[in-house]
Parts: sequence; structure tokens; C-alpha cells
Amino acid sequence: MITAKSRFNTLVRSSPYLMMALLVLPVMGGLIAVVLPAFGWFPVLGHTQFNVSGFVDLWQTPGIGYMALLSVSTSFISTLLAFVITILILGSYFTSPWLGYIQRLLGPILVIPHAAAAIAIGFLITPSGMFSRLVSPWLSGWDSPPDWLFPHDAMGLSIILGLTLKELPFLLLMALGVLAQPELGHTLRAQHRVALSLGYCPMTAFFKVVLPSLYPFLRLPILAVLAYASASVEIPLILGPNSPPTLAVAIMQWFHDVDLSLRIKASAGAIVQIALTLFLLLGWWLAEKLIKKLSQSMLVNGKREYAGAIMQNITHVITVMMLTIIGLALLGMVLWSFAGFWAYPDLLPQTFVGQHWQSALQQMHTPLLDTLLIGGCATGLAIVLTLLTLESEQHTSKTTSRLTSVIIYLPLLIPSIAFLFGLVWVLEQVNSHHTFINVVLAHLLFVLPYVFLSLASSYRRLDPRFSYVAASLGASQAKIFWQIKLPMLLAPIFIAAALGLAISFSQYLPTLLAGGGRINTITTEAVTLANGASRRTSAVYALVQMLLPALGFLIAWALPKMLLTHRE
Amino acid sequence: MFPSKICNIKKHIVAAMALGVSVYACLWTSVAYAQTNELAAWEEIEARGVNQDVYFHAWGGDPQINRYIQWVAEQVKQQYQITLHHVKLTDTGEAVSRVLAEKSASNHQNGKVDLVWINGENFAAMAKHQLLAPNWVTQLPNFALTDPDNNPAMGRDFGVPTQGMEAPWGKAALTFYYDSLLTQTPPQTLQQLSLWAKQHPGRFSYPKPPDFLAMSFLKYALIALNNSQPDTIKNRLYQPASAQSQALLLPPLWQYLDDLHPNLWRKGQHFMSSGLALRRLMGDGELALAFTFSAAEVPAAVARFDLPDSTRSYRMRDGSLSNIHFVAMTYNAAHPNSAKLVVNFLLSPKAQAKKQQASVWGDTSVIALSQLPAAQQAWFSPPAESHPSANIVNQDSSPALSEPHPSWTNVLAAQWLLRYGVMR
Repeated sequence: MITAKSRFNTLVRSSPYLMMALLVLPVMGGLIAVVLPAFGWFPVLGHTQFNVSGFVDLWQTPGIGYMALLSVSTSFISTLLAFVITILILGSYFTSPWLGYIQRLLGPILVIPHAAAAIAIGFLITPSGMFSRLVSPWLSGWDSPPDWLFPHDAMGLSIILGLTLKELPFLLLMALGVLAQPELGHTLRAQHRVALSLGYCPMTAFFKVVLPSLYPFLRLPILAVLAYASASVEIPLILGPNSPPTLAVAIMQWFHDVDLSLRIKASAGAIVQIALTLFLLLGWWLAEKLIKKLSQSMLVNGKREYAGAIMQNITHVITVMMLTIIGLALLGMVLWSFAGFWAYPDLLPQTFVGQHWQSALQQMHTPLLDTLLIGGCATGLAIVLTLLTLESEQHTSKTTSRLTSVIIYLPLLIPSIAFLFGLVWVLEQVNSHHTFINVVLAHLLFVLPYVFLSLASSYRRLDPRFSYVAASLGASQAKIFWQIKLPMLLAPIFIAAALGLAISFSQYLPTLLAGGGRINTITTEAVTLANGASRRTSAVYALVQMLLPALGFLIAWALPKMLLTHRE
Repeated sequence: MFPSKICNIKKHIVAAMALGVSVYACLWTSVAYAQTNELAAWEEIEARGVNQDVYFHAWGGDPQINRYIQWVAEQVKQQYQITLHHVKLTDTGEAVSRVLAEKSASNHQNGKVDLVWINGENFAAMAKHQLLAPNWVTQLPNFALTDPDNNPAMGRDFGVPTQGMEAPWGKAALTFYYDSLLTQTPPQTLQQLSLWAKQHPGRFSYPKPPDFLAMSFLKYALIALNNSQPDTIKNRLYQPASAQSQALLLPPLWQYLDDLHPNLWRKGQHFMSSGLALRRLMGDGELALAFTFSAAEVPAAVARFDLPDSTRSYRMRDGSLSNIHFVAMTYNAAHPNSAKLVVNFLLSPKAQAKKQQASVWGDTSVIALSQLPAAQQAWFSPPAESHPSANIVNQDSSPALSEPHPSWTNVLAAQWLLRYGVMR
């Protein structure tokens, strides 16, 4: 009994270090393997002297300034839009059952892989897309698709639309996750009610009472979203311009170019990409400080109403627009997956056939199994590590240091395009024969932060009095962990697991690179086909990609309820 | 002694292979001694190669081709208990970087890539960095069926000698297709294309270099536009691109493109990154004319409803760019013997005939039919019933244009990107 107890304590104490190692070593190793070639050290091509010719090449690339500007502007604007819409929705529907409905409607968007979402949105806004078909020919007079520049517009408006639609559900879900914590959520809702009873309009009450307490919990998710958007590849590749593209897309193309000496330029580009991302994060942080300072007096000036009704109406319009876009995009994907020939400007396909599903499903079982296995392993590992790390935090009764919490989010804050190519080289040195393990480890880099993000606050906010009572009754720490904390945290654990699975399911670059292409998941198949010529086949894969994580969330929602009723 | 030896060997060689080997053996009885040596060597490869995994890195963007490779995997499983893994690439450059990374990590024995589907630029890059195994193709019994002595093209990849690093797999020629409801008279020459685009603004496009199809279109234009030049100048296309030859050959191309671009899809302001997007834009009705290197994808796409029923295919009268695509083995392949067995199967009459069927893939065979008995030649004739777009107009009358020297690809891509790559 004593050995079992001490074994648990040892495990708990060592887990934070294991977690740090699993996060820091791959990222740092990958970065070093990119920094060296960036400064000219690339022995394969016989370059063994340090210089800055890669950066000089980069500087001389035509349109390089535009590439950087496009990356910065699209990611900043889309993150700002997603954040503003998130708080508008929260503010407008804070006390309304609609908040739950919107969450349920937007939830599935979170788990659609970026590539699939981009294709679905692309279908809406292309000249032959759903919007154009809706108004043709009766209103527009178009018998054949107009020759307009959407998507791929030079300003990146299509990228902004795609990124915003993908980021919004994530931020909203994170905010609702915070509000779902029994203690905090209850307090905030109670404070909101008090504000209402003091005559504040609901919107003002939200902004003055709830938001200041809520924002600190949203800061890291927002920064992660911003960092991701600044270096994401799939959406700008499919919806963005290509003359020139965003910096991240250009870097990927240089890395993949047959001219191997371009790797040096690509590595230099990766370093610049990191600098851009850091610049964006810093910019957001400064803007946040500024707004906080400026709005301090507004918080306590006692004013009850700031055109709340108008804002609420604007929110209604935005929400309806967002849901319409998403609804039409989903409808479009379903229609494509069953479509016979579908001529312009017909609103519906001429015939509906099942052959696209049939032939896709025949080829799908191996990738499907791999997707589930990798997702399951990465998520399981992430949950165990997170729980043990959080438990160790409570044993030593100090919260993780600032450095540690930055390290946890390292893979989310450093653009993956910057370290993944190096990581492949590192994996090649260490363990080149167990591709499956490599892929799981690469997925873990991205799954772990999200799982930690989603579990940490619930765990830390668990009322310590339960543990005190149990301990005073003689329960060991292991027993408290297993029999008190875990059952109380069942719902957040399942949500975190579903989130982890969804993140794992949607990984493209890590699967492709760490797996050496040997391991195909539904996502790698979908992206390969998305670059292909058939909207119909990629619609089938995109829908399967959506169904998988949706199933995960359904289980995460239903299972704790069943287990808890069983316990009672 | 010789026949008995052949009989002996036959016992060891699996059924489908036997025919090919005996045809091969019969043709070369005069060099019997060398043959038996080679056969013994092949027998050893067969003995060592069975029952292993082979990782075949091949572009995976076309479900039809993926299905064919799946069929190959079933066949080699049956014959040799080889498990063939199709590693689906979005870009063959990925395989190049992988092998390069392995070389830099001093992994010289246990590479993750056994075979790569490759040609042109990617081959030139891999050969330059010595990432491929040399002199193994002539060991394959079925390689003789391509009649390499009379078809020097089988040993040249975009003009570069293959030195036995890669085996030919299929042939392709640039084929145009159009929607006959939108245009009845598609352009027949490059000059007509420019006029046609003026009459149908926004209905034609080509992808953005360095996409493979984009480069093919530019090379076709470069050759066609310089057709009237004297031979001494024209032949410079098949030599490394020097500054002088660029000054002689490129101006007509840029002039042509300057004239063409305003009439292209999106007014030439945007070009699709992927050549496959052309087919999607045809299906959407945004384009009325497009082109492809795999002509069989057209009727197959019509059958899958990805293209309208009114689609028709043809070749340009002023010539069609033609090339051969190959399967190469890496220098550090972990399963070289099994990989050779797989490639030998890919070159077998059975596999090549299946590949040529329009309903399967429609990729033209590399086997010289004269090397086959009449019964096997019949496998290669097309089925009677197929969509009209499977019938390529001008197929025989359109002259085949050879690929220029690979150095032209870089020159064209770089100069195109300088001129049109960044919007002003």
C-alpha cells in the first residue's frame, strides 16, 4: 500500500519534467535544425560556413514585403474580428438560451480541418459558387460564371473570411469552457445578474462586469490563434492570392522546391516568420494594455447604456450571416458529395448519386484506422500528462511558473512551419524506424497544449475544501486523486479528450512530415485530394473529417452524464 | 542443357512472369551464356525479394491512379508476398527532400523511400545529388520489352541519360479538351489559341509556374513559336540554356504571353497553383478550354460527373509536347530486391495493358508491341464502347514535340515569375 502510494507520488512529481521534455526537445531541436541552414550551414550541399546569404536571397525575392504584410494583416484582422464577434455574441446572448444553440451550431466548425473549411468557403464565393448561383440568372443575369477575383483576391479578404470562421468557434468554445467552470461561471453569472438589477443594460453589464474577469482566461487562446493564423498554410494556400502568396505558403513552397539550395532561403524565411509572429503577439499584448488603460475610467463611470440595442441588433445580423455562411458551406459540401453533374447556374445538381461515397469508402479504411489510433494515443498521453502535472502542482502547492506555462504553449506560439522541417531531421537521427511513434509524438506537441489549456483552469479551480475534508478523514493523495478529483472533473476531462482528438484529427503538416508520408490519415488524404480536381471526392473526405470529431464531442457530452447517473 | 535449365528456372518463376522471361530468352538464344548468368542473377533477386515491404512514393492526387496502384499492390502480394505501400505525395519534391534529409543524416542503408514515381526536374535534381541507385534497370527481364535499342527515349528523361537509375513506366502527350456546348471550334494551333481567347475572354487559363502543367504549356508555346526559326537555333532548345540561346528563343514567347494574358481567366491577374484546378474550373463552367497530360482522365472525369457530358478532346495540329515518366529506386532503398520485383511487374504486359485501359488509368504503355506475341498485343486494343472524349481528335496527325533540355524549365519558371509572378 505504501509502495503504491509512493509510486503515485513519484509519478506525479516527475510528470511535469517529462511533459516539459516532450514539448521543449522537439521544438528546440527543430528550431536549431532550421537556424543552422538559415545562417548558411547546410553540409548536404557542401555549405559549411556561416553567412547571411539566405537572408540576402530572401530580401531580394520579388514581393517579399507584400508577403509579410499579407501574413500580418490577414492574421491580425481575422483574429481581431473573431475576438470581437466572440464577445459580441457572449454579450448579446449571455442570459439567453441562444448561447447554447450557437455553441452547438458553431462547435462542429472547430473540428473541420482548415483545408476542408477553405474548400467549402471557396465554393461559396467562387464565381460559380453558391452565392452566385443563388442570384443567377434571375437577378444578376449571369448565364455563365462572372470573371471576378474571389477567392484569391490580392487583399486577402478571402483568407480573412476563412480564418475568422475557423477561429471564432474556437474562441467561443474556450470562453464557454471558462464559463462552464462551476465556481467561476456561477460567480460571473451572479455578478451579471446583480449588474442587471442595478439597471445596467445586459450588453453593458457584460462588458463592465464579466469581460474584465473573463479576458485573462482568453488571452492565451487568442495569442495561440493569432500565432497560428500568422503562419498557417492551408487556408492561404486554397483561398489566398499566389502572386505573391503569404510568407508561410512561400516558405513551404521553397522547402518543397526541387532546387535544394532554396532550403537555405526557406530556413531564413522561417526565422523571419518567427519574428513576424512574435511581433504580432507583442502588438496584441500592447494593444491590450492600451485598451485596458483607456477603458479604466469607463468601467466605473456608472453609465448603464452604450447603444446596447443597436449593438445587439448588429450582433444578430453578424450571427445570422455567420451561421448562413457556415450553413451554406456545409450544405454545399453535402450536395457535392452526392452530386451528379451540376451545371451553372443550377441551384441543385441534376442528379444525385452515391458513387462518390461508395468509391471513397472503399479506399478509406486504413487511413481511418490510423487516424483513430494516432488520435487516441496522442490524446490519451496528453490527458494523463496534463492530469499528473496539475496534480503535482497541487502537491507542491505552487502554480506552474511563468516559464513553464510559456513552454506548454510553445508549440502553439512558435509557427509550426518554422520547426517542423527541422524536427523531421531530428527524428531521422533519433528514431527513424517507428514512424507511428514519431507521428504520435508530433501530434502530442499540438494536442498537449490544447488539452492543458482546456483542463488546467477547471483543475485549479476545483474547490480545495473537498480534498481537505478527504485528507482529514485519512485519505491518501492518490485516493483523493482517483476517487474525488477525477470523478468531479469527468465532464471537463471528456471535453478535453474530444478537443484533443479533434486537434489530432486535423493535423496535416505534422502527420505528413513526421510520418514521412508513410502514415495516411483522413486529413492527409483530404488535403491531397483537395489539391486534386474532384470537388465531389474531397467533399466526401471533408464530411468524414467532420463526422469523426463530432462523434467525439457527442460522446464527451453524453458519457459523463451516463457515468454520473450510474454512480448516483 | 539450355532447355533443361530453362525448365528448371520455370519451376521457380511465378506464372505471369514466365511468359515474359521465355519470350525474352527466346529472342536472345545466341547470347545464351550471358543470359543464363542474368537469369541466375534475377533468380537470386526473386529469392531475396519475396515477402517484404516496398514503399512506393507516388503522387496521390488522382483516385484513378491510386486505384491502379492498389491493384498492383494486390498483384505483387499474390505473386511475391510483397506488401506494396503507396505513399501518396502531393508533390514529388517531398520525396526528394526526404531522401536528401536521410543522406544528410548518414542513413545510407535503411531509407524510407524505396521507389519514386518521377521525371524531368525532380529526376535531374535527384541524379545531381546522387540520391538514386544506378544501373539496376537492365537487370529487369521485362525492360527488354520496351525495345530500348530501337527506342532511345526509354533511356533519356527530358534529354538527360537515365543511366539505369529509373525504369520507364508510361508515356504522355499534351492533350486539350473543351466544352462543346460553349465552343464548337476550339483553336487548332497556338496562334489560333490567342485569337480564340480574344473571342472568349476569361475562358482559358494555365496554372502558375513551376507547376508541371504550367511548364508544359510554356514549353509547348516556346517550341511552337520558334518552329519557323532555322534548325541551328531551334536545336538550342535541346541543349543547356545559355544566355545567348535565351536571347534568341525567349522573346517571341514573352510577346505572345503579353498579348494572351489580358484575355485569360481573371484577366491573367491570377493563375491557379495546381494544374488539376483546371479540371475543376472546367467542371464549374468557368473555363471552356483546358489541357492535360493524362488524356484518359477526361472520359473518366465525365463518368464521375466532374466534367460535363459535352466535353471533347483533341491534340493541337502544330504539335503535342510528349514525355515519358519513370519509376526510380533510391540509393538507400531498404528493400532493393523487392523494389526490382515490383518495377519488373510494372513493366509486364499484364500491368501495362491494364494501365492503358481508359477505364483504369489510360496511360500509354511503354512496351514496344512488336516485342509481344499477337495474343498479348490484343490486350492493348481499346474497348469499343467509350465516351466521345476518349476519342482524341488529331491523335495521330499531331507531331510529337520532345521535351527541351531540363535547364529550360528553370529558366522559363524564373523568368515567368519575374515578369508575371508579382502583381504590379
